Amino acid sequence: MMNGKISADSGAGLSRRTLIVGAAAIFGGGWMITGLTGCAPAGALAAAPGSTQLSFWHLLTGGDGIKMSALVDGANADSSSFFAKQTILTWGTPYYTKLAMASAGGRAPDVAIMHASRLPGYAPGGLLDEWDLERLAQHGVTEANFPAAIWNSGFSGGKLYAIALDAHPFILMYNTDIAREAGVLGANGQLELMTTPAQFIEVARKMQAVTGRRGLSYGYLGDGAQMWRLFYTFYRQLGATMTLEPGKPARVNEDAGTTALEFMQELLDGTIATAAGDYATALAEFVNGESGLFLTGVWELPTMQTAGLSFDAMPIPNLFGAPATYADSHTFVLPRQANLDPVAREDVYAFVADILKSSLAWAEAGHIPAYLPVVDSVAYQELVPQAHYANAVDHLNYDPQAWFSGSGSDFQTFFAESLQSVLLDKTDARAGFQAFVRRLNVLLSKPNPVG
Amino acid sequence: MTTTLTNHAPNHAPKKVAVTPTARRGGPASRKRGENLTGWMFIGPFMIFFILFLVVPIVWGLYLSFTGQTLTGRGGGLVGFANYQEALVDPDMWRSMGNTLWFVLISTVPLVLIALAMAVLVNLGLPGQWLWRLSYFMPYLLASSVVSLFWVWMFNPQLGLINAITGLFGAEPIAWLQDPKYAMLGIVIATVWWTVGFNFLLYLAALQNIPEQQYEAAALDGAGTWRQLVSITIPNLAPTTVLILILQILASLKVFDQIYQMTAGGPGGTTRSAVQYIFEVGFTGYRFGYSSAISYIFFALVVIISIAQFAVASRKGLKK
Amino acid sequence: MTAIQTRRKPITIGNIAALMVLGVLAVSWLLPFAWALVTSLKTETDAGSTPVSWIPPSGFTFDAYAQVLGDGNLLTWTFNSLLTSVIITVLTVGLSALAAYAFSRLDFSGRKWLFAVIIGSIIIPPQVLIIPLFYQMLAMDLVDTYWGIILPQVIAPAMVFILKKFFDQIPIELEEAARMDGASRLRVFMTIVLPLSRPILAAVAIFVFIAAWNNFLWPFIITNDTALMTLPVGLQTVKSAFGVQYAQNMAMAILAALPLIVVFLIFQRQIIRGIATTGLGGQ
Repeated sequence: MMNGKISADSGAGLSRRTLIVGAAAIFGGGWMITGLTGCAPAGALAAAPGSTQLSFWHLLTGGDGIKMSALVDGANADSSSFFAKQTILTWGTPYYTKLAMASAGGRAPDVAIMHASRLPGYAPGGLLDEWDLERLAQHGVTEANFPAAIWNSGFSGGKLYAIALDAHPFILMYNTDIAREAGVLGANGQLELMTTPAQFIEVARKMQAVTGRRGLSYGYLGDGAQMWRLFYTFYRQLGATMTLEPGKPARVNEDAGTTALEFMQELLDGTIATAAGDYATALAEFVNGESGLFLTGVWELPTMQTAGLSFDAMPIPNLFGAPATYADSHTFVLPRQANLDPVAREDVYAFVADILKSSLAWAEAGHIPAYLPVVDSVAYQELVPQAHYANAVDHLNYDPQAWFSGSGSDFQTFFAESLQSVLLDKTDARAGFQAFVRRLNVLLSKPNPVG
Repeated sequence: MTTTLTNHAPNHAPKKVAVTPTARRGGPASRKRGENLTGWMFIGPFMIFFILFLVVPIVWGLYLSFTGQTLTGRGGGLVGFANYQEALVDPDMWRSMGNTLWFVLISTVPLVLIALAMAVLVNLGLPGQWLWRLSYFMPYLLASSVVSLFWVWMFNPQLGLINAITGLFGAEPIAWLQDPKYAMLGIVIATVWWTVGFNFLLYLAALQNIPEQQYEAAALDGAGTWRQLVSITIPNLAPTTVLILILQILASLKVFDQIYQMTAGGPGGTTRSAVQYIFEVGFTGYRFGYSSAISYIFFALVVIISIAQFAVASRKGLKK
Repeated sequence: MTAIQTRRKPITIGNIAALMVLGVLAVSWLLPFAWALVTSLKTETDAGSTPVSWIPPSGFTFDAYAQVLGDGNLLTWTFNSLLTSVIITVLTVGLSALAAYAFSRLDFSGRKWLFAVIIGSIIIPPQVLIIPLFYQMLAMDLVDTYWGIILPQVIAPAMVFILKKFFDQIPIELEEAARMDGASRLRVFMTIVLPLSRPILAAVAIFVFIAAWNNFLWPFIITNDTALMTLPVGLQTVKSAFGVQYAQNMAMAILAALPLIVVFLIFQRQIIRGIATTGLGGQ
């Protein structure tokens, strides 16, 4: 093209080029100046010669991120054929947006973490490749190695798209010192059995009498995910279901929804639990011993251990008749490749199998491993309090399936928009639930972009 | 160099002048034919890119807006005006447009007034010229990502400098970017810090083009500094102010970067801008067709505002 | 062109007040830089502890910089930014200058309406093109490539307009003399017009370079591979496994800001002039 010529034989071109070269030199110089720490720059973490570089995307940071890094390092050390390089993106919408764009673009990462609940938004749209059961079996990963509910959550349209690493349910943590003082510990040193909403409130009130502050911590303000996790637990305990089928109105149980929300309102009365708490506030409250009970995800376990709190944990007690708890799973998926490298794909199988088999370390982050040989191991059974809520896997409930639902999705945002005022300002629960259902119906009336 | 500056002195809004290129000179027919070829050779490379990366996407986008196209490649069929009908009653779209206009409104005023104050003060010729210009303009050189990192840290409720400073005066800590009441204000503060230097430079350039004699004459008449500011400086800056307003409003309408990076449109969608909604509908919600329709509605809004601005600006110009 | 005509200033109350306002503004504007710099020189523990302090209990350290540079990503992104911004600048200036010259000097058919179309296109916000452009890049297989980042950024109608205005007022006689001697248009353009236009070309180049270096939205959309990301995109997209690391975040921000600030400190006068010139011509 013409500009090549311009800079080649004209004075002005030269001056422009000089300017650019000069600028480049200065950029370089600037970097020299800042490179004062003198440590090795790029390539410090390069793969060993001859091994395949695998690109692995996930969204885990903090306690989860540190554990995952260790697992990846372990897998790299175990294998001479691959070197997995992890890329961590912002949890929630930013991560899932980028993952979909990468898959659509055809140069996606070799393997990625995805919440099981997000599968309906990816697999049917052709954004993921399916796992080959035979190849998995060669690496010691078979259906028999997983609880049925978790294994099945990886299927879409009869094909396996996701291999679960864990289940991470919503659970109940309690401060054992406060519980003992309140006299609510059973003979085995664990919290006594609660089977009705009234009993739960009674226990919380006894705890409150001890702390003088609150009985229960639960943060939800501005956090649709948190509101949804507790709501869906109670909703499912009431035996209700939620079916979302595009083109049709949502099939929900309005009475159960109202009951669940009214019970949440009852808890958030300013005494049992703070009426307006966000995630961080609730966490701090429980850590500082200002409450005895904490409704939270398993992933906060390391926080409590770091804080040196004497605490235990259990599945959320069955208060409404049907044992149920909200959960999601971190799973491994294969983003679609336009030009598949068979060697890299083979290495991904080895990589995932290695991490599954070492997932006892993952349990230390609070998650319940999905891989049964790990769960059945003595080491895991001795892991407390993890072992005390491991039976939550018997009653896991993933989000209702829809292309717009799942962890960090619009669905949770809409739940917050419709229902925050119900919890915060104690507006009518039924009306709030109806508003949410109307919102769902709008989404369901829109064309399904992945179906 | 002086020529360039004076040539672009803001006495005439340049964009207007441009639309009617002056015919340079006539020539014999043969020469004209030769010039045709040469002309197209000169313009050709630009036009190839212009067509490929501006005309094609504009037309393609318009077509997409009438389809149900998605990121996954499905739903490419024509759907008529369904996307536009959906958009017109989409509360999220109107909310994002409203947020955008609100941002334009509350950011433009300080971006003009503070820039003007900075330029007038610097132009007094007091000591420290180098320092003033450097400190006011430097943030403009930063990428939005750096600005966002800086300000998310400044605004950190527990660890940030802003709450530490306001705390010295006894104020309660504010969750600047997490509280719906303050989030947009936080964005605006960061934006003003970031881009006011550009307007400041434009004002400074304009101030230097005000003839010194005007001030000398006024001084002879006994006018003080304040009087000179009101009766000479401000009126002389009017064309620049109009230009800055036009550029600023058009730039602010397209806001995306710092909002997406600092609050991701939250809390509760209170800072989501129109461009972010286009991005989210397209890439998070996969709906390319619908997103294109919203793009065109937003485009129409920008065109309407631009035309209104030029109409107002040129009427003002006629009065002068 | 000295920037400010320094009128002799007596020490008056007004001037002292003006200096104070200038000073307060300067401190406010420098504060985020200073705070980021100090934070970047703290240990993570000090950076994350209250009360907020300028002098960390455990002293200053370059640990955060060592961590950030040791990771390697930042150097990759800086290289990507430099490469793409330079190519974008060269292409934009080259294409725009050729086109502007044709509009200024050459009487080809369709000139008027073509010019009107190009000037009219200034009004198109590039943000409304992201969907079709991404789709187009998919079709051209340019997603996650350098060319995917570069190509859609080289069209700058406003720059054509600014350059044409400049070319318009170069005296035609200079060129006509050369034409009499049989020089071709291209030769005239390159040996006479371009040398005379150095200041404006530099101004346009500076403006385009800064815009490309700092551009976020398009590179963010078109790159998913972290090895291809530009500095602004990488900074905002890629996270640390450890969660938010305040000192490292600020070290990255400072390092990312440094190149353009160093260039600015060296070419301050030219850059200010360039921005003022091109800025007044339209963004």
